[in-house]
Amino acid sequence: MGEAHGTERNTGGRPLPSYYGDRAGPAGRGAGQQPGEASGAPPALRVRGLRKRFGEQEAVAGIDLELPAGHFAGLVGPNGAGKTTTLSMVTGLLRPDEGLVEIVGRDVWSDPVGVKSRIGVLPEGLRLFERLSGRELLTFTGRLRGLPVRDVDLRATQLLDVLDLSAAQHKLVVDYSTGMRKKIGLAAALLHNPEVLFLDEPFEGVDPVSAQVIRGVLERYTATGGTVVFSSHVMELVESLCDWVAVMAAGRIVAHGPLAEVRGEAGTLQDAFLSLVGADRRSAGDLDWLGGGPK
Amino acid sequence: MTVSGPLATGSPLPPGPAAPAPGERAAPVTATFVRLKLAVLRNGVRQSRGRTVSWCIGVGLAMLYALGNGAGMIALRGSVYAPAAAVTMAAVLAIGWSVMPLFFFGGDDTLDPTRLAMLPLRPRPLIVALLTSSMIGAGPLFTLLVGTGAVVAVAHGVAGTVVAVPAVILLLAICAALSRGVAAANTRLLTSRKGRDLALLSGLIVAVGAQLVNLALSSLSSHHDLHRVTSVTSVLRWIPPASAVDAVQSVSDGAYGRAAAQLALAVIVLAVVLRWWYTTLHRLMMSPDSSTLQPAPDSTERKGSSRPPLLARLLPARWAASRTATVTERQFRYVARDPRLRASWATGLAVGLLLPLVAVVQHGSVYQCLWTAGLLGLQMYNQFGMDNSAFWTIAATITSRQDAEAELRGRALMLSAVALPYVTVVTCATALLLGKTGALPEVLGMGLAFLGALISTGAYASVRFPYTVAQDNAFGNAAPGNGSLVAFNALGGSVVASAFCLPVLGLDLALHLTGHHALLWTVLPIGAVYALALSVVGLRFTAPRMFERLPEILSAVSGP
Repeated sequence: MGEAHGTERNTGGRPLPSYYGDRAGPAGRGAGQQPGEASGAPPALRVRGLRKRFGEQEAVAGIDLELPAGHFAGLVGPNGAGKTTTLSMVTGLLRPDEGLVEIVGRDVWSDPVGVKSRIGVLPEGLRLFERLSGRELLTFTGRLRGLPVRDVDLRATQLLDVLDLSAAQHKLVVDYSTGMRKKIGLAAALLHNPEVLFLDEPFEGVDPVSAQVIRGVLERYTATGGTVVFSSHVMELVESLCDWVAVMAAGRIVAHGPLAEVRGEAGTLQDAFLSLVGADRRSAGDLDWLGGGPK
Repeated sequence: MTVSGPLATGSPLPPGPAAPAPGERAAPVTATFVRLKLAVLRNGVRQSRGRTVSWCIGVGLAMLYALGNGAGMIALRGSVYAPAAAVTMAAVLAIGWSVMPLFFFGGDDTLDPTRLAMLPLRPRPLIVALLTSSMIGAGPLFTLLVGTGAVVAVAHGVAGTVVAVPAVILLLAICAALSRGVAAANTRLLTSRKGRDLALLSGLIVAVGAQLVNLALSSLSSHHDLHRVTSVTSVLRWIPPASAVDAVQSVSDGAYGRAAAQLALAVIVLAVVLRWWYTTLHRLMMSPDSSTLQPAPDSTERKGSSRPPLLARLLPARWAASRTATVTERQFRYVARDPRLRASWATGLAVGLLLPLVAVVQHGSVYQCLWTAGLLGLQMYNQFGMDNSAFWTIAATITSRQDAEAELRGRALMLSAVALPYVTVVTCATALLLGKTGALPEVLGMGLAFLGALISTGAYASVRFPYTVAQDNAFGNAAPGNGSLVAFNALGGSVVASAFCLPVLGLDLALHLTGHHALLWTVLPIGAVYALALSVVGLRFTAPRMFERLPEILSAVSGP
């Protein structure tokens, strides 16, 4: 979520979402306020009219999204589509210019206690406290989240074990490899047993072995009712992991829903994605000289 | 790095067409290394015009200093203190050479022997070549000029002059070998993350060290203290390379036996240092680099043990698990481990000690101790800038004003836990040394009030005016473009905090002006209580603002 900057610009005098939702914020934004109308259970994530502008550029141009609980959801889109900005705003790390975000029926800005204890976050491009050892990082995170010391110790030990980090638990995170950092970040995000997990590019720069470990943990997590929202460029990965997909392009959601629905007639998610974002495979006709060596 | 050359076998390979005898090999290797060193020097200077100019100015000043120093030593010729000065100079040079690679390792590529590990070189010719190339450059020239001055100061007669030449050569050789040996022995450390962390502190150590030497020299300048110097040098003259320089004096005195012993000692030490260098070099080029090894589970560095943390052992369980205690503990670990935070604290502590020390040496005012409180209190400013984007983990776990207050309180407690005893001890010691114990309560009371004012204003400024801190430079305290914000923080903060101290200062002045000197002790308890109240109110006032501004703070501190 390295795009988290310039939040105070261009609000145009609109009331900003605030942690004190009773005083400011987009309360009472039309219909769709009652969570989980259909099933009775609130959706894992509900977004209405979410916008964010950085100077002249509209990073997120009005997003509406509703993700039912218990899914493994992928947020896909080309670079600069606004995935990171969206995830930052959804998790309360970046203040939107306008819009409503509800997680499990609770407003991110008016009910931070309810939301922050129910979500786990693994941002991309933001650091951890790297001068702590892996175990210390988990211990401090658990204690900051108000978990009992005994539970923190037990969960940290199990997470380190499952994520294959036990041998490196006393090493400083600054000396970890990329894969190890992602894994310790995931452990910190899972420690308080959140209902919804937001992961920004969790597989970026991760070796296949670590990727498999992360994948196993996430699959186990969704099998027990947890919801995962993760962003990625790698369509094959999203296709093999997710049962629900949202495609972003130029700050908007261009398609969302169950994987089969989004894929539609296209053979693969990759093809569906390219046609959705308007980047169908161009012919390389201009490069007809290329190949076969000098002629 | 795994070595596949002749070195990898552990014993010399049988001579063949590809491996000429060492005698034939040594000369070309040495010549190559000399050319390499010259090329490195030339290219370093050539990199940019600014660099050329600054290099020339730096070297020019160093040479001027060396010439002045050498001339000063020569001027001491015949003085009763000349031997002591010459011996001290040699010792200082040796210390400088042995410490230098620890701080400026990155500056000289030829210092890192692992770069040569893939080349089919044997350690013995390599040592000759590296030692020779070490003699080239501004440093060796500086040493040569100062060393020559030192021996000229003590050389009398033909015999003295004759011994002076090997003495200077021994001095130079021991210095260079010592420097290379230290570099080789610490290569693993210096090329690691820890080494780079250490290097970030180097500027501070050099600056404070220079100030301490300056203070020591000025306090030793009285005639009485020079006698103490002479007694120290009676030991130093037997420690190489100073012994080589003193051998010239011994010869000039006609004590040939003593001179021979001193020279022999220098030669033995040179041999020992070379042997040590050879062994480390051999081991270094033969063993695989740690980065290629999988650490065994048991050999991993145990930074955080499974023992309960320190605070948990000191405090009742309920308090130790609180957010405040957790934050305090994390901050303590961070000050100890984060190079930028460590540099910032070390500067505060060192300069906070140095300024009262200057007051003591120069018989100044005991009020100089307020600097100590000021420099440590300023650590409260831009608390979150040092976290950089890791602040998101804090933002993600703060769910209420109470959480925000606990976060601020934890940081303030960490600062107070160091600053309170430090300010108290420094103020007491300064007052005692200056013989002004009567002024102790008011100075300490003022100091505490200033500390409290800085903690409360610092917490507010951290929340209201956060800025990102450059990650790669311990002393560049803000990323480009934030300079004015930094100045505003430091200057504005000091002014506002001083204004907050006015009630205590007013009380102090009123007691002085109205002649109630017997009541001056009240400044201490009133200052302490005032500081506590100010901190508590400041943090309580700031906490809801922090809670409200979490995303803005994260945006401001998440710099490159």
